[in-house]
Amino acid sequence: MDGPGGIDLSAAIAAPGQSPGAISIDIKSVKKRYPATANSAGIVALDDVSLTVKSGEVVVIIGPSGSGKSTLLRTINALEKIDSGTIVVNGDVVTNKATDLPAFRSKVGMVFQHFNLFLHKTAMENVILPQVAVKRRSRAEAEANAGKFLAKVGMLERANNYPSQLSGGQQQRVAIARALAMNPQVMLFDEATSALDPETVGGVLDLMRELAGEGMTMVVVTHEMHFAREVADRVVFMDAGAIVEMGTPEQVFRNAQSERTRKFLSLVG
Amino acid sequence: MIGQFLDFLGADLAHYWKIAAAVMPALLKGFVETLKLALVGILWGSFLGGTLGILRGQHIRVATPLIGAYLHLLRGTPFLVQLYVIYFVLPNTGYSWLQWDSQTAAFVSLGIYTSSYVTEIVSGAIRAIPRGQWEGAFALGFNRLKTLRLIILPQSIGLILPALGGVYVTLIKATSIVSVVGIVELMRQADISIVRFPGDILYIYFLAGALYFAFCFPVLMIVGRLEERSKNGRMVRA
Repeated sequence: MDGPGGIDLSAAIAAPGQSPGAISIDIKSVKKRYPATANSAGIVALDDVSLTVKSGEVVVIIGPSGSGKSTLLRTINALEKIDSGTIVVNGDVVTNKATDLPAFRSKVGMVFQHFNLFLHKTAMENVILPQVAVKRRSRAEAEANAGKFLAKVGMLERANNYPSQLSGGQQQRVAIARALAMNPQVMLFDEATSALDPETVGGVLDLMRELAGEGMTMVVVTHEMHFAREVADRVVFMDAGAIVEMGTPEQVFRNAQSERTRKFLSLVG
Repeated sequence: MIGQFLDFLGADLAHYWKIAAAVMPALLKGFVETLKLALVGILWGSFLGGTLGILRGQHIRVATPLIGAYLHLLRGTPFLVQLYVIYFVLPNTGYSWLQWDSQTAAFVSLGIYTSSYVTEIVSGAIRAIPRGQWEGAFALGFNRLKTLRLIILPQSIGLILPALGGVYVTLIKATSIVSVVGIVELMRQADISIVRFPGDILYIYFLAGALYFAFCFPVLMIVGRLEERSKNGRMVRA
């Protein structure tokens, strides 16, 4: 299970009580609508969406812009509020008001379209700070860990650079290292390659492929159909806030049941 | 006017030396009072303004409009009016805890005046930080307070400091207004000295002005220095 970086992530990935195949993320009848404002009618963002993700599974969500795929992903770690429904992640009831959200979120890694690296910190400090401030690790332990994960994503030589001194692809790799250093049970990728220059997309996708191969539980929102086809255990096609089709890449890409899915796939090639 | 100025230049240096020696002790005493007023105003005005600014910088249902009203009220009225209200009107409400001596009234009004500007500066700087910085921190498990302290405020400081210097200098100069409620600060001491030496109005005001400048200039310098330092490492998103 060693990646090219030579670091075995299996210890970090297999959290206690999570055997492969057990349900990791359980989304039940989630509804969300944006209320009408002066210049727009109300929009149904999520229309009764249910989805389960098993431990170690890679689920890739595809669909047109505005279909609700990013919104759905962001509800998993409660960055987005929902109107009704329940979401349970590895035993934590995300939708319960009593849940300690910061503590829960520290167990879920998220990678954003625009990286969201802390702009006033170097790559190294970006990876160290959350471990110290949230996980309460010692500085020495956090530093050793940061070195390890920056090496894994191939960014150790640039450890002392600020985000503004790095290309988009490099920033995204640091962001992935930052999330992994928290030893997440689940990784969420929100259009992680959409804002990258074409030549740096490959490196980030390779890294995601590698993580998938190591058994990380992943939910990936992407426009990269090759990635979906090749890496996903399951592909989810969303449109207008609802899941239209769900199945293995083979089922969805070769044998889509719904006309909408077929039309979307023919347009994105 | 011009004639007076030429007289000022051409007159005997010894005369000016004598006047300076006579009025300087009083002016310095006034300067100390001005210093005290400004420092108290800066300290608690910044504390109050910083707190309100942090609250206003994030959308909180009740706090944001309330603080907005406070700002509009203070920034839409002259400082002199605020001072009169605090010193002359509040005691008439009958509450004993609102009966302030002139110094307390001066401290309170200067602080409130300062806070209105500091609030806007701090909240503006916080809002200028991209939303993704908050989300990035939240997703890693930072709570709101930790995000503010470790991520947002350190990035805002480079925007806050330069604007703060301007407010502090404005405040130092505004202390001259509190002489109207009987505080004997630098400007009041200058007026008193002019009664003693009516022939040297321009010179005495010049000395008072030099003392104000000697206070304001280092404040601007220090803030400029801090601004430079905070810029190191603070980069704009590519």
